[in-house]
Amino acid sequence: MTTPTATSTLPGRTVSLREIGPARRGTREDEVVVAVSPAFAGHFSKTIVDVPHAEVLRQLLAGIEEQGVTARVVRFRDTADLAALAHMGAKLSGSGICVGILSRGTTIIHQKDLPRLSNLELFPQSPLLDAAVFRMIGSNAAQYAKGESPQPVPTRNDQMARPRWQAKAALLHLKEFECIEAGRGPVDVELVFESSNAG
Amino acid sequence: MRGPGPAEPAERLIVGVDIGNSTTEACLASIGPEGAVSYLGTDLTRTTGVKGTPDNTPGALTAIRGALARAGRSAGEVRTVLLNEATPVISGLAMETITETIITESTMIGHNPTTPGGEGLGVGTTRSIAELGEQEPGEPVVCVVPHGWDFDDAAATINAAVQRGVAVVAAILAGDDAVLITNRLARAVPVVDEVAAVEKVPLGMLAAVEVAAPGRTIRTLSNSYGLATVFGLDPAQTRQVSPVARALTGNRSAVVVRTPSGDVTDRRIPVGELVLRGAGKTLRVDVDAGAEAIMDVVGRAQPLDDAHGEPGTHVGGMLAQVRDTMADVMDLPGQPAVPVSEIAIRDVLAVDTFVPADVRGGLAGEVALENAVALAAMVSTSRSRMQLVADLVSEGLGAAAEIGGVEGEMAVSGALTTPGVDRPVAVLDLGGGSTDAALLTREGECTAVHVAGAGELVTKLIDSELALGDREVAESVKWFPLAKVESFFHIRHEDGTVQFFDEPLPPHVYARVVVLTPDGPAPVGTRHGLDHVRRVRREAKRRVFVVNALRALRQVAPGGNLRALEFVVLLGGSALDFEIPDMIADALAPHGIVCGTGNVLGTEGPRNAVAAGLVRTYAAGPMRAAPGPAT
Amino acid sequence: MTSTAPRTGTAPRQSLRTEILEARPVNLDGFVEEWPEKGLVAMESAFDPAPSVRVEDGQIVELDGKTRDEFDFMDTFIANHAIDVASAERCTAMPSAEIARMLMDPRASRDEVLAVTRGLTPAKILDVVKLMNVVEIMQGMQKMRARRTPANQGHSTSARDNPVQVAADAAEGALRGFAELETTLGVLRYAPLVAIALQVGAQVGRGGVLTQCALEEATELELGMRGITAYAETISIYGTESVFIDGDDTPWSKAFLASAYASRGIKMRFTSGTGSEVQMGNAEGKSMLYLEIRCILMAKGAGVQGLQNGSISCIGVPGAVPGGLRAVAAENLVASMVDLECASGNDQSFSHSAMRRTARAMPQLLPGTDFVCSGYSSVPNADNMFAGSNFDTEDFDDWNTIQRDFQVDGGLRHVREDEILQARDKAARALQAVFAHLDLPPITDDEVAAATYANSSNDYPFRDVLSDLKGAQSVMDREITGLDLVKGLEAAGFHDVAENLLTVLRQRVSGDLLQTSAVLTADFTPLSAINDPNDYAGPGTGYRLEGERWEQLKKLRHVTSSTNPETEVG
Repeated sequence: MTTPTATSTLPGRTVSLREIGPARRGTREDEVVVAVSPAFAGHFSKTIVDVPHAEVLRQLLAGIEEQGVTARVVRFRDTADLAALAHMGAKLSGSGICVGILSRGTTIIHQKDLPRLSNLELFPQSPLLDAAVFRMIGSNAAQYAKGESPQPVPTRNDQMARPRWQAKAALLHLKEFECIEAGRGPVDVELVFESSNAG
Repeated sequence: MRGPGPAEPAERLIVGVDIGNSTTEACLASIGPEGAVSYLGTDLTRTTGVKGTPDNTPGALTAIRGALARAGRSAGEVRTVLLNEATPVISGLAMETITETIITESTMIGHNPTTPGGEGLGVGTTRSIAELGEQEPGEPVVCVVPHGWDFDDAAATINAAVQRGVAVVAAILAGDDAVLITNRLARAVPVVDEVAAVEKVPLGMLAAVEVAAPGRTIRTLSNSYGLATVFGLDPAQTRQVSPVARALTGNRSAVVVRTPSGDVTDRRIPVGELVLRGAGKTLRVDVDAGAEAIMDVVGRAQPLDDAHGEPGTHVGGMLAQVRDTMADVMDLPGQPAVPVSEIAIRDVLAVDTFVPADVRGGLAGEVALENAVALAAMVSTSRSRMQLVADLVSEGLGAAAEIGGVEGEMAVSGALTTPGVDRPVAVLDLGGGSTDAALLTREGECTAVHVAGAGELVTKLIDSELALGDREVAESVKWFPLAKVESFFHIRHEDGTVQFFDEPLPPHVYARVVVLTPDGPAPVGTRHGLDHVRRVRREAKRRVFVVNALRALRQVAPGGNLRALEFVVLLGGSALDFEIPDMIADALAPHGIVCGTGNVLGTEGPRNAVAAGLVRTYAAGPMRAAPGPAT
Repeated sequence: MTSTAPRTGTAPRQSLRTEILEARPVNLDGFVEEWPEKGLVAMESAFDPAPSVRVEDGQIVELDGKTRDEFDFMDTFIANHAIDVASAERCTAMPSAEIARMLMDPRASRDEVLAVTRGLTPAKILDVVKLMNVVEIMQGMQKMRARRTPANQGHSTSARDNPVQVAADAAEGALRGFAELETTLGVLRYAPLVAIALQVGAQVGRGGVLTQCALEEATELELGMRGITAYAETISIYGTESVFIDGDDTPWSKAFLASAYASRGIKMRFTSGTGSEVQMGNAEGKSMLYLEIRCILMAKGAGVQGLQNGSISCIGVPGAVPGGLRAVAAENLVASMVDLECASGNDQSFSHSAMRRTARAMPQLLPGTDFVCSGYSSVPNADNMFAGSNFDTEDFDDWNTIQRDFQVDGGLRHVREDEILQARDKAARALQAVFAHLDLPPITDDEVAAATYANSSNDYPFRDVLSDLKGAQSVMDREITGLDLVKGLEAAGFHDVAENLLTVLRQRVSGDLLQTSAVLTADFTPLSAINDPNDYAGPGTGYRLEGERWEQLKKLRHVTSSTNPETEVG
């Protein structure tokens, strides 16, 4: 696992998500929805292993764009349940495909016709997800949207993730739940990238 | 042994037992005083051990007891168990790759990435993106982007160079970034990406990069004269680069680098000889000569006495291994070892196939379909342990057991119970390791042969040609029809019909080519479309079963003339296949033969022929049909 | 992959000592602050309820501050089935300090303590153990453990699901002393073959070792009913209604499953542990230990004989909060003090630090529990399909040395190499014979030879996975049972192994293994809380490591002879 990660050498970016209105059912068949949790790129700015949310989004969107598919980012505010927000995201998606992601990095690829607790691909081990994996997840989601059969993104395992990350994952989970705003529907957001140390 | 006393019971209960390579079948019948047969029940179980060895006993007993239970009879009522005389048949498979594609001096990149960027042709000198800053405006440049470059940075760097007047006409990338970078370029150029070994692209050389529009293929680099035009080649040089053009045919994108002696070659790999002995001759053939040449030599050495392969090759190893396995099987403690001279390869089937293999010297993991030869071989021996099995069955069941007849003859006899069949009849037993044929003439003469190659070879061909690397999946591709999952609620079958579902299909089959197993659709792990998978499956079956059906029938047909056959009955596990019987029937139809899947006893389908044949033969036997008064 | 240096960047200059400390493995472990409002707290939370109980007409109508109409289904189940109604009001009214003292005081017998604990509510039990420090908890465990003789459980799995490996490692594990052996799979369809291998290997190593195969509940039950496994353990329960419902379960459905095992005379225990509820974000604001005590009482109410607890797969959560391991020791004690068998954790990868790994096990190893580990990886952790244990094969000699240092019985012993090789060889050959008898994919002599000397799954020839999976399916289709294994062993001349397995199978007729904390000794005597009750009554009483067993545990790989210091004994 020594392949260098193609992360930009430009100054670190931050991203803010500017709300542009209630999210509605998409009509473009070449659209993948990226559904983010309430605290993503807001209360939190990086995953459990410090991958900046700006980079997570940039890589997910790059993976989708490389496949010639368009992406729409939707912020969910009333749930931090990954399966739920991804499934609702899939129902909003023109292609029926959605990538759902929580602040700590846990990610899922969902499809609108699946039962909520099912999925196309699930990446439950958030500490093992880096920029390269997010790129592949975006790419696979776009390929599903095109009706292709991508090879599932290889998942990894690490027995020592438990002592290092289990409690932090629980804490991040609880914090994210704190950010839930009941009764507020999903909104389309625009990504505003900024260099963090401009000048 | 029967003393005087009450008359012979009106009916005698007998059980015919067929021990085959994979299944053991039993047929229970009662024989009336006049030899009239009434069939009471059948059973089928897995064969225990290698056919023709004492290990068969438990399986035989299971099948007998199963048939008795179905008919509500007890073992004590059984007069005789009849076993088939079966000699052990062991088969083996091997594959040799006989061609190899080599690219020298990194002269081309032809891996056909799924998402190249831009469109058109760019010809220029290769330069690393790191040196783009020092590049003087003027000569056209093909920009090479190594690993570790972010797409935003790479696009910005190229745009900056173009701004300064550098003519960047194309790019070659390590990562999967072609569309991303093209979308960010001020002026779009053709971009080829996912070149894993991009650091090996020679820098400072003239190179051409071509990308076609989606759904189209390149026109210039796949054309020898296009290459000649691009690089200004003379006729001799054009002749030299024509393999490159051929190698790139059908691609959507490609790169060709002009290097002093770059080349693409297709080399034959010597894999040793096959030595065939038979018909008083010893003939040799190079395995890399291909299936046709091998089968031609096999034909000239008929009947085959033995075959050997070159030690150290797959084929040589396989032939030695089937011989050894047979020797082990025949080895019984307390008895002299079986002389190796008695263990001989009796048939060989060679089939041309191809295997996807990495191209040597390729920069981007190019894969070429290399030619290969698959070989099936079969060994049989004249020694049988069936009498021992009969003794053990007798002991285990508490009833007499004897050898009731020879396998081939019994199969024909059983096949004759198929409605609509008459002599002369030939049977084809389509098994796992071998394909067996037997012929019963109008006059009642019977001849039988075994030929190498059957279901397992088909599985192997499917596995390697589709690069599945998973025999289980290959097996299911062989057995079940294909479909494409088009949504969670509908699939398209291989014949084009659509089927809808009320409940969503499981996620792991979504958008995939699947086989429709009895347990539901199962994904086939391949990038190929349904049509390709179907073609590979049918071709594999044709090259093994259709070829072997004709080969075996010619060996039993009088004078080798298929027209002398009238009825052919297909038996065995592969006769249950959903398309093989039709393929064989189609191939035999021009010879005026009625061919179909057997229906033994009118109820058993292609199963139970030998067991039923044993019963029929026993009932028809002159000594048994009308037993004399006890004395 | 995650073993990256924890903190990097352009921080100010560090001292050389700090650099050394930063590089210590313990700093790869994760630690978090408490958050009691959300239940991210071990056992001291202001948000846990105060104890209370009220009985009307023979029914508990108030439990820990809630009236019956406010009960969730955990409260209802516990009130109806787990608490002795007759003594509830009296016992819960006793001062907590007095009950805590009884737990420690050698003069209060175990039975006297049980007479009190059976009337306690969850909050009351928490109130009692909150008064106890870790040494007091250990002292309580020493007395309250149900079985007098401590034992240990092992994991025997294979990264390649190789049955030959599982058989050989099971034989070695049994020989080293594990009273129970547990396996699970990477590829679930392999289960029948691996379960057979575990059973055969275990009976080669030491007759009477009990085996189980952790699977989805229906298959696990079926393998048990067929006698291919001897007990079951991985039946998970949770402390809040919401987590229970997330798993499509209720206390009643789990109790029903338990009775299915009992009806066939099969030993079983539930599994629970601190941290699982907060890990899933549904702790309902209660401390980890309070919720675990609800689980323990639910298990008690369901009538199962025992519980596997000690945080188990959530150990990273209590392990990261202050006092977390005290809570883990306390949850083991609570299981024992309500008269359940306790298989006390130490069974999951816990820390990067060897020192922390060892310390984590002391509250169970020193007082002794029914199973100190549940289980100890008797294969290298890379082969451990339970995601790694706190101890593995590399720790065998350390474990044996610690037993000898403190004169405590952790269930294992040092075994001479020649005995181990012999057992491994025999286990592989016995499995070879059973596979041949059942017409399963053959095991070659090369595999047997590899099994004899192997360490990990990498040391074995590859098996034909496809044939194995077909064979595994045929075991289910042909309805093969434990008796078929006995027949195969007998037919192949492994008479002693056949006899061992048959004797284990007979236990389900007598039902002796349904008694609390039951294990089988080498002469097939069931040893349980009935015939081997813990009679600890202070110094010089209860289980003492002495006599023949102590002589066994004095042996290590290298001990210099006192009669001839130029040689080693062993």
